[in-house]
Amino acid sequence: MNTKLFSPYVPRPVTLVEKTQLSDFVTRFTFEQDNGKPLAHKPGQFVNLSVYGIGEAPFSISSPPRRTHNTFEIAVRRIGAVTGALHALEPGAKVGLRGPYGSSFPVMKFVGKDVLIVAGGLGYIPLRSLLFYQLRHRDEFGRMVLMVGTREPKERIFVDEIADLAKSGDIEVLETVDMPDDTWKGNVGVITTLLPKAELDPGNTFVAMVGPPIMYRFVIAECRKKGIASDQIFVSLERKMKCGLGKCGHCQINELNTCIDGPVFCYTDIEAYQEAI
Amino acid sequence: MTTYTVYKEQLPGLFEKWSQQHALHVPAKLREGFYDLVPWKKGLEIAWDFDVAYNSPKRFLLPPRETLITFNLKTCEAAPVFEAPPQILFGVHPYDVKAINQLDQLLESGAPDQNYVRRRAATVIMAFEPLTVSPAAFWATVGAATAAHGYDLYWTKIGPAAFTVEVGSVRGEELLAMGGPLLLSTAGDKEGARRAKARILFKARRSGLRYNWEETPRLLAKCWDSPLWRRYSQMCLACGSCNLVCPTCYCFDIREEADDLLEEGIRYREWDGCMLESFAKVAGNHNFRPKAQDRYRHRYFRKGKYIYDKIGELGCVGCGRCVRACTAGIANPLKVFNELWEETVHEH
Repeated sequence: MNTKLFSPYVPRPVTLVEKTQLSDFVTRFTFEQDNGKPLAHKPGQFVNLSVYGIGEAPFSISSPPRRTHNTFEIAVRRIGAVTGALHALEPGAKVGLRGPYGSSFPVMKFVGKDVLIVAGGLGYIPLRSLLFYQLRHRDEFGRMVLMVGTREPKERIFVDEIADLAKSGDIEVLETVDMPDDTWKGNVGVITTLLPKAELDPGNTFVAMVGPPIMYRFVIAECRKKGIASDQIFVSLERKMKCGLGKCGHCQINELNTCIDGPVFCYTDIEAYQEAI
Repeated sequence: MTTYTVYKEQLPGLFEKWSQQHALHVPAKLREGFYDLVPWKKGLEIAWDFDVAYNSPKRFLLPPRETLITFNLKTCEAAPVFEAPPQILFGVHPYDVKAINQLDQLLESGAPDQNYVRRRAATVIMAFEPLTVSPAAFWATVGAATAAHGYDLYWTKIGPAAFTVEVGSVRGEELLAMGGPLLLSTAGDKEGARRAKARILFKARRSGLRYNWEETPRLLAKCWDSPLWRRYSQMCLACGSCNLVCPTCYCFDIREEADDLLEEGIRYREWDGCMLESFAKVAGNHNFRPKAQDRYRHRYFRKGKYIYDKIGELGCVGCGRCVRACTAGIANPLKVFNELWEETVHEH
């Protein structure tokens, strides 16, 4: 790269190689880096994707780090201009990419420990990166528990994958929906109703959670009630990350920049920030 | 530090020479009570006694709209765009120099903002000691009466037709030398400059904080739940004027547009403001600061605490621009900080 012409705002081209519909509004996209290199991300990080002419937006990486592949995945809900344009793309299309950016789940801390993964709604998407990284190194971790909460059965994503996980024996899977329909036979209620069902060893359990803004305080309170310490709880927070460089100011949580200080935070580090949870 | 004495009669010649290689901006009166830095041209009357340039100098370093990249919609290739015209800002008051120093630190930290860095490198700052103080200003009490660095030359008017010029950089000295042989300031001239500075400082101190400015972050830490935020913010029009005129506000949005044929396009940044309703709104319409109160408090916390915690200086340099720009009369860091101090005085 010509360092004279370097600018952190310039994306590099990546190519869409696969597109799978996950629900009415959510689609999984697999991209390939045109430079042939692996993305070299860590679980929990995000990228800024550009659909040129429409705009740029941040997306969590939903695939685990891969040393040998130059592909990575995101899963996106169609909700605005950029996500709408992304959904209109077909394999072979190119987009711009910046990143990976931000902090990640401290997997090394989780080694030898039990890990509880709490995924509310689309929160499963970034957590997949952590989940499959851990499953690939399954022997290095203790018990693994996955809790998935969705508003309605028809909004569930990665349904087959989660069913396979439940059957695999590598991980205990607990699922719930807030508003059941006739097809739903499982647990009903918000995600916190799952916590009493898992017998956790609070001193030995790390928690990773991602979900809608409203979810965190309730799940955290429930974890604390179980005796899990604040420094064993990791959350990934969403804000309007625009520049990804800690400059533009949109993603601030008090004085923290979510894009460089986060999106993954240890709860101890943000407990005192009024704008965090 | 080398100090030279320069006479008013030398200025037209210097300006003429400088403006051949630089865009030269100097303070001028636009209308009664409104001053700004404007492009210099022959015969322009310089407003030596301007109290504040109503538009802050950040626009020269971080323009209201600035192209960051160009892209091709077909190939998805993008290239950086750098514009860094050589420019001289003549007549920047010390509090604005402080503000620029702050932008330097914040935009150059982490992944340096190359667009800013280049513009800054091409910009010569000629500081000028104020002769009058804006009624809304309080820079003397927030540690912004002097700038220790960040200028190339520092001009102080020591008489009707004479200035001392302190050298801040080699580049500044070379520019000054373009006018011919330099005259080192005498002890008397330097004393004159000292007095001029003391005189204006005395005037500026008439309005100020009731406490030491370094206490501000600790004060704010106690005031998250103060009723003041609601009391003031209920009148906020969410217009963002305070953000626009603020010399230290640098938040920006990134947008883009494509040409008619959807072949080429540009991505640019535009000033944004944390007081605008949609500033922290994400896709799906969740707003992380939905209330005017949240946004108003955030701005004061940035000025009084967050920036301080990062760089050890207040994010407010006391220029008073927001006080004047605010239609609702609620933007007033001095008043806000003083009232919070009063509110918590029983705790001190």
